[in-house]
Amino acid sequence: MDSLRPAPNSDFLVNKKRVRVLGLSFDDAVKIFFGGNALVSVIVLALITYFLFQEGFGFFGQNHRNLLTYRQAGLEYVDYIRTQESAHTALTRYLSDLRLRQFNYATLEKNISPSAANESLVAFDDFAALYGDAVEPLRGLVSELTEQSTAIKTKFLVAEDKRVERQQLTTEGKIAEAAAVKIETVDFALEVKALTGTLPAYKELAAEFAKKLDAALVTAPAMPTPELKNRLERFRQLNSDFIATFPATTRSLETWDYTRAVPWYQAFSAFLFGREWLTASFWQDWYGIVPLFMGSLMVSLVALLLAVPMGVGAAIYVNQIASAAEQRFIKPCIEFISAIPSVVLGFFGIAVLGQLLRWLSQQDALAWVPGFPFSERLNILTAGCLLALIAVPTIFTLAEDALQNVPKAFKEASFALGATRLQTIIKIVVPASLSGIISAVLLGLGRVIGETMVVLLCAGNRIAIPDFTAGLAVVTQPVHTMTGIIAQEMGEVVRGSIHYRALFVVGLGLFFLSLAINFLAQKIVNKYRISIG
Amino acid sequence: MDIKTSFNSSSSGRSIPVTSSPVGPTLIDIDHVDFYYGASQALHDINLKIEEKKVTAFIGPSGCGKSTLLRCLNRMNDLIDGTRVAKGQIKIRGINIYDPSVDVIELRKRVGMVFQKSNPFPKSIYENITYGLRLQGRSNKSDLDAVVEKSLRGAALWDEVKDRLHTSGLGLSGGQQQRLCIARAIAVEPEVILMDEPCSALDPIATVKVEELIQELRTKFTIVIVTHNMQQAARCSDKTAFFYMGKLIEFADTRAIFMNPANAQTEAYVSGRFG
Ligand SMILES: Nc1ncnc2c1ncn2[C@@H]1O[C@H](COP(=O)(O)OP(=O)(O)OP(=O)(O)O)[C@@H](O)[C@H]1O
Ligand SMILES: [Mg+2]
Repeated sequence: MDSLRPAPNSDFLVNKKRVRVLGLSFDDAVKIFFGGNALVSVIVLALITYFLFQEGFGFFGQNHRNLLTYRQAGLEYVDYIRTQESAHTALTRYLSDLRLRQFNYATLEKNISPSAANESLVAFDDFAALYGDAVEPLRGLVSELTEQSTAIKTKFLVAEDKRVERQQLTTEGKIAEAAAVKIETVDFALEVKALTGTLPAYKELAAEFAKKLDAALVTAPAMPTPELKNRLERFRQLNSDFIATFPATTRSLETWDYTRAVPWYQAFSAFLFGREWLTASFWQDWYGIVPLFMGSLMVSLVALLLAVPMGVGAAIYVNQIASAAEQRFIKPCIEFISAIPSVVLGFFGIAVLGQLLRWLSQQDALAWVPGFPFSERLNILTAGCLLALIAVPTIFTLAEDALQNVPKAFKEASFALGATRLQTIIKIVVPASLSGIISAVLLGLGRVIGETMVVLLCAGNRIAIPDFTAGLAVVTQPVHTMTGIIAQEMGEVVRGSIHYRALFVVGLGLFFLSLAINFLAQKIVNKYRISIG
Repeated sequence: MDIKTSFNSSSSGRSIPVTSSPVGPTLIDIDHVDFYYGASQALHDINLKIEEKKVTAFIGPSGCGKSTLLRCLNRMNDLIDGTRVAKGQIKIRGINIYDPSVDVIELRKRVGMVFQKSNPFPKSIYENITYGLRLQGRSNKSDLDAVVEKSLRGAALWDEVKDRLHTSGLGLSGGQQQRLCIARAIAVEPEVILMDEPCSALDPIATVKVEELIQELRTKFTIVIVTHNMQQAARCSDKTAFFYMGKLIEFADTRAIFMNPANAQTEAYVSGRFG
C-alpha cells in the first residue's frame, strides 16, 4: 500500500517555470521599470545642466568681443562726451522742476491767474532757455561723433559677418566662392584718428560751454520764497560741481587709447555688476544682470514679507489652535491656492489687484503711506502681493509639517507645568520646529524666485534698478525680473547670438540661486532632525 | 521573585513598615467618577481617597484606565477632544477641580506630572528646570539659580550635572533625563506629583535611583504613581489601588493588597497569574 502514498513533494525546490518576455521575468521588468524612471530623471537633470552651461558659457567670450568692439570702434570715446551731455540734461530737468514750483507758488498761494503767473515767469524762462541752449554746440559734436563711430562699428561687424561667411563656404568645400567673398579689413588706427582728431575742437567747445553756463546763471532771477531761494542755491552748487568734472572728462579723452586691451574678467564683471540691460540698441548693447536681479530680489522680498507671517501664522493656527472641523476646512483651502494657474493669478493681478492698489493709493485718507499715491498700476508691490499668494501654500504646508513633527510629549510637559496654550506655542512648539519653519520659508523663497508668469504680467517690466532713495516707496516702482526677461525675450532672439546666450546665463544664475536655496533648506532640515532625535 | 517574600525580607532596606500606616488626611477625593472618551466609557464609578504625603500606587492590567484616572487629576485629559467626566467629582482639598470656576493653569501648577517617556524640552538643563518658574513670571537670576540647585538636589541629579547646566537636556542618559523631568516638576513646588510609569523606559540601576528618589520625595509631596512593576508598587507605595476594566477593584494598604488581598482578581493579578 506504500505506493499509494504520495511521494514527498519537493517541487518547491525547483525553480518554477515563470513567464518570460525577452528573457526577463516579471520581477526583472518591474525593477527595470522603476529603475528606468529614476534613471531618466537623473539623465534629464544632467542634460539640462549640460545644455545650460554649453549655451551659457559662450556668452562670456562674445561679451568680451562686444566690449572690445565698444572700445575699438570708439564708442567708448564718444560716451565720455555723451555722459557730459546727459548730465547737463539732468540739470535742465532740475530747472523745469523749479519752474513748476514757482508756478504753483504763484497760482496756489498768491492766487495769481495761470496766464499772469506764466507772464511773471518770463525772466526765469529766458534764463532756463539760455542755460539749456548752452549745450547745443556740444550736442552737435556728439551727434557727429556718434555717426562716425557707428559707421566704424558697422563696417567692422560687416567684415566679421563676411569672415564667418567665408569660413562657412570653406568648410562646405566651395573654395572658389569663398575666395570671392571680399573682406574689407577695418583699419582701426585710421578710423579712430578721425574721432580723436576732434579733441582740440572739443576742448574749445567745453571751455565755451562752461563759460556760457556761468553766464546764464548770472541772469537767473531772484526767487520769491526762502525755500525756492535755497533750491536755486542748490542748483548753483550742482552747476559748479558739473563744471568741475570737465577737466576729468578731458583727461579721459586725452588718455583714451583704442588699443588698450579689455581684461578677460571684464566679460564677467560687466555681466555680474553691470547696471544696465540694454539690447538691440543702435549704439551699444549692455548685458548687466544687476537691474534684473534687484527686480527679482525686491519682488521676492515683498512677497516673503507678506507670505511668511501669513503662511507661518496659518500653520500655527491650524496645527495648534484650530478645531478638527476648522482644520478640515482651512487646510484644503490654502492648499487649493497652489492649484490656481499662475497665469490666472497674473491676470487677476492686472485686472483687479493692480487697479485696486492704485485706487487705494489715491485715496486722501491713505496719503500718509510712504509711496502713496502712485500711478504705475503694475509694480513691485502688485507682483509681490501675488507672489505671496503663491508662496503661502508652500510655506504653510511645510511649516505645518514641521509643527506636526514636534513631539506631543513636549507640549504635554509644558501644559503639565501650568503653561497656557499660547505660552506653549511660543516657548516650546515654535522653537522646537524653528529650523523646519526656516527651511519652509527658504523653499517658499525658491518658489517665488523661480515664478515667471506673475512677474511677467504684474511687475511692470521696466528694466531699471529700483531707486532706493525713495525709501519704502521703492515698492511702488515697476521692475523687470530674471525670470520675466527670459520669458519675454527668448522668443525673439537669434539663436547663438550674444543676446540669446546672455539669457542663458541669466537662466544659469536662476538655476544656481534655486540650487543654493534648496541646498540650504535641506541642510537646515537635516540638522533639525538630528537635534530633535 | 515572589512578591510576598520580597515583602517580608527585612534585608531590603526599603521595605515598608510592617504596621499598618495610620490613616492620614485626605488630599484628593475621587468621588464616584465616570469618565468617557467620546462615546466609550473608560472609568466606571471610581471612588477613592488619596491621602496627603503618602505614595499611592495604581496597578492593573494594560488598558484598565490607570493613566486615564491619573490624567483626570490634573485635567490633562482636557487636551483630548471629546473627553468628559460624566458623573461624580474629583475634589482636591474639598474643591471640585472640574468646577467651571477652577483655573486649570493654577491646578496644574499644584498637581505636577512626570511622564512614562522622559520628555525634557530641547533646551538646556537650566532652562528646563526654570521653565515652570518663568511661566509664573519669576525671572530673578539668583532666585532661579537657587531653585535649580534645590530641585536638582531634590531629584538626586545635582552632582551629575552641576558642571553642565547650560548644555542640552537631551544630552543626558535616559535615567538622568527622567530625573531631570522630576526636578522640573518639583521646581514649581506642587503639592501632588503624578507619575505615569516613570521607570518603564529605564534600566534597573536607573530604576533604583528613581525609586530611592520617590522615597525621599514622599516626605514633602503627595505622590500618585502608575506602575506595571509589582515589586516597585510593593517597595515604594503606602497605598495601592487595583483596577480592572475601568473599575476600581480593590484599594487598601499596599501591604494588605500584596499579603492578603480581599478580592480574587487582585490576588490573581498580584501573584502574576494574569495581566
Ligand atoms: N485618547 C484616547 N481616546 C480614546 N480612548 C482612549 C484614549 N486613551 C485611552 N483610551 C482608552 O481608555 C482605556 C484606558 O486607557 P488607559 O491609557 O487609561 O489605560 P492604562 O491602564 O494606562 O494602560 P497601560 O497600562 O497600557 O498604560 C483603554 O481602553 C484605552 O483604549
Ligand atoms: Mg497608561
